[in-house]
Amino acid sequence: MEQLLRHLVGRSPVWLEARYQERRTLVLAVRNGHVEQCSSSRTRGAGLRALVDGAFGFASTTALDETGLCSAAASARSLAAATSDAKRGRSVRLAASPPTLGTHPVDTVDPLDAHSLDEKIDLVLRLDEQVRRAAKSISASSVIYSEALEERMVATSEGTLVRIFDSKPSLRILAIAESAGEQAMGTQTVGVTGGWAEIALAKDFDRLVDEAARIAVEQLDAPHAAGGAAIVILDPELVGTLCHEAIGHTVEADLVLGGAITAGRIGTRVASDLVTMCDAGVPPHGRTVVGRLPVDDEGVPASRTVLIERGILRSYLHNRETAAQFGVAPTGNARAFLHSDEPIIRMTNTYIEPGETPFAELLAGVDAGYYLRGFAMSGEADSSAEFMFGVREALRVERGKIVGRVRGVTISGDAFEVLQSVDAVGDDFAWDQGAGFCGKGQPAKVDAGGPHLRCRITLGGRQR
Amino acid sequence: MSEGRWLEVCREGCALAKRAGANEAEVYAYDSDEVSVSIEKHDMQVARSSHESTFGVRAFVGDRVGFACTNAARDLSAACRDAVALAKACPGDPCNRLPEAVEAPKVPALSDPEYDRIGAGDVVRLAATMLDSAESIDRRILLGDGGVSASRATRAIATTRGIAGEETTTLFTHHVIATAREGERVSSMDFQFGAARQVRDIDVAPTVALACRNALESLGRSRGEAFRGLVILSPSAMLDLLIAPILFQTNARNALRGLTRWRSAVGKEVAASSVSLVDDGSAPGGIASSSFDREGVPHARLVVIERGRLAALFQNAYSSAALGAPNTAHAAGAAASPPMIGPTNLAWAPGDLTLEELIADTPQGLLVARFSGNVDPVSGDFSGVAKAAHLVRNGRRACAVGGTLIAGNAFDALRAVVDASSDQRQIFGFSLPYVRVDGVSVTPE
Repeated sequence: MEQLLRHLVGRSPVWLEARYQERRTLVLAVRNGHVEQCSSSRTRGAGLRALVDGAFGFASTTALDETGLCSAAASARSLAAATSDAKRGRSVRLAASPPTLGTHPVDTVDPLDAHSLDEKIDLVLRLDEQVRRAAKSISASSVIYSEALEERMVATSEGTLVRIFDSKPSLRILAIAESAGEQAMGTQTVGVTGGWAEIALAKDFDRLVDEAARIAVEQLDAPHAAGGAAIVILDPELVGTLCHEAIGHTVEADLVLGGAITAGRIGTRVASDLVTMCDAGVPPHGRTVVGRLPVDDEGVPASRTVLIERGILRSYLHNRETAAQFGVAPTGNARAFLHSDEPIIRMTNTYIEPGETPFAELLAGVDAGYYLRGFAMSGEADSSAEFMFGVREALRVERGKIVGRVRGVTISGDAFEVLQSVDAVGDDFAWDQGAGFCGKGQPAKVDAGGPHLRCRITLGGRQR
Repeated sequence: MSEGRWLEVCREGCALAKRAGANEAEVYAYDSDEVSVSIEKHDMQVARSSHESTFGVRAFVGDRVGFACTNAARDLSAACRDAVALAKACPGDPCNRLPEAVEAPKVPALSDPEYDRIGAGDVVRLAATMLDSAESIDRRILLGDGGVSASRATRAIATTRGIAGEETTTLFTHHVIATAREGERVSSMDFQFGAARQVRDIDVAPTVALACRNALESLGRSRGEAFRGLVILSPSAMLDLLIAPILFQTNARNALRGLTRWRSAVGKEVAASSVSLVDDGSAPGGIASSSFDREGVPHARLVVIERGRLAALFQNAYSSAALGAPNTAHAAGAAASPPMIGPTNLAWAPGDLTLEELIADTPQGLLVARFSGNVDPVSGDFSGVAKAAHLVRNGRRACAVGGTLIAGNAFDALRAVVDASSDQRQIFGFSLPYVRVDGVSVTPE
């Protein structure tokens, strides 16, 4: 395949990018002791993107011989020409990026394939049973193990030829508690880039079970929160969610050009001076982060992009097209999920840098408020930076002490106003988005995290 | 591929699975051609073409089942071996079974031979029409995202129980995300979608106009007011707030999972008497219609809620065996995954009053165009931001409001539905009116 790609891009009359992807997945899902899904997939294909007269055309194919690839390349060229004829704005130009060569293997000594199907099924069945045994009020359980193994190649007519291997296992645990006709849910997840050892080390599976069950049971009796503004401490998972969903998408340069709130605000204050936020394909503290991306799908090597530096907006996230438009260097954020997707601007691992305040001091500084923990996997944010997220656990804080809990909490508002209100940033750090996907027309595995931080936010509750 | 060719591949796959050790097998094929163009930053972004085939194999070894898929016919044999290996590794379940063969009558008007005349130039022209429409409405509008797509798909299924079917359909879709910008003020994003089975039914202008109107109306937002009372939900808002929890509760698979309060509620009152819901996957020309479900069983009309009473759950072969209920032919999903359960064309019965009459009859309330928030389908609790919302006072739209939170419980809200509008909107396979619901908590930020 490497030879075929090299040959294809080498003789292309126009700029051409050829990506090959081979992907294998395994999903083992158990609910209430029953195996609900035991499935695997093997897919292979190529995506060809041509640039003709200032416009892109893209064609994907599963015909992986020379004839099939040449035919797809010809389609990509003719589609580009059709787009070019109808374009009313600026022609596409690409920022310079030196040709990239090399192979990037999976960083593990314990590959997923070294562990048998039986071992994985036994694990899922055991954890599912543990959830149901965790408390009398647990009425339903679910455990899902999934893994994706990939080999990707990116070749361009400018001389790039890189080969990237990837391995991403993840585990999701769900507990449902029930009492007097009321139901409540507790979830825990873990996902990494790496092998079996990496996911096992990332979080203790038995502890995840206990946590999921505890959250479900404790939510049952909790009263609903009253709505309104409140001083809160966000845990690293919620900080990651805020970074990714509410801020990160507004600094993706394609959305900036589409009218996002950050347009024209480079160099202006958008957050408290305690806040420094970055996106990095290979972050300094996170060998196994799930958004790990040494080279993007345009062949641009990963970089650490400082988006907000001490409260000042410094950069957007770019592919080669938007980098040329803004006159900056590409940031290595062009990503495609499948061979049939064309690369678009995506985050990788997005985070707020840790500060200096110990958690005890963060808590002591809350006279009346909440300590909010975990993203409830629901919510939305848009390019105006308005967001709304479900919160997994909300603990009530009075005079610096946790005094109770409430349920059904959401947080919402303008993400930049929330960042402006940050008055303390924790000295800790955690990544915690590993099991999920980001959706932007196509999925992407991303990670996000940060320290605990204290801010003012609007809680959704109930009007009495 | 000639007609019937994919069915032949599926039949060959069944034989391969049996040779690999399966007692029973199902092979489902999905082959699609698509040409599309995307809009980004208010300009044509990229035109695309794709041709993909996917084959999903379910292998049964006794009462154990495994699933494997591939996107290459030449790898079908390997996928069959994978599926058998997975089946052998899993514990059994007596409800794992294939449905019996029943002849599936063809649903009419799902395919348009005019598809052959559609090329990249045509979808590019439609996308240009969308941009032109937005510009003619208001220069403050920006289409940040959008697209037009034309696709033709052939689905085929064969099982060792005698099911055999193949069907070709066409689908033309378009979508748009509009934002209005005036100086520093940015509106809420508004997403609208349109779809048609026939070339002659493609009409992008109304979709663009609605997205632009909603975006523009949310520009001049003021602070709302707090109350607990009436809200009028648009079809888009009710899709998230009411339909999503209903679909969760009526999915028999979720009942088996112990996640639903409606497991034993068939025949019981779950909503106000004005609420009736019907699903019909056999509707001629329907966006979500097809002659057979993901397991090859013919679709039929199903009353889900009748005058507030739950009439049926959505079932596939597994759930009907586990719950001892009839199979409603709602096996759903792609060839790349095992059959799940899902609705087809779901319609909420309209009421007698128009939207404007509903508003005129509301002394104090909130008109919600879109909901951005959290809906827990298990507990029914919801909380989130009412997007592009208007405060209603004394029967009139008083002002646009921003950042207003609404909260409540979806199951309580279903019982508190006052009425539905006579005007409906099609969103994907859903045909939905505006509904007026009482008892919802409204809180300005």
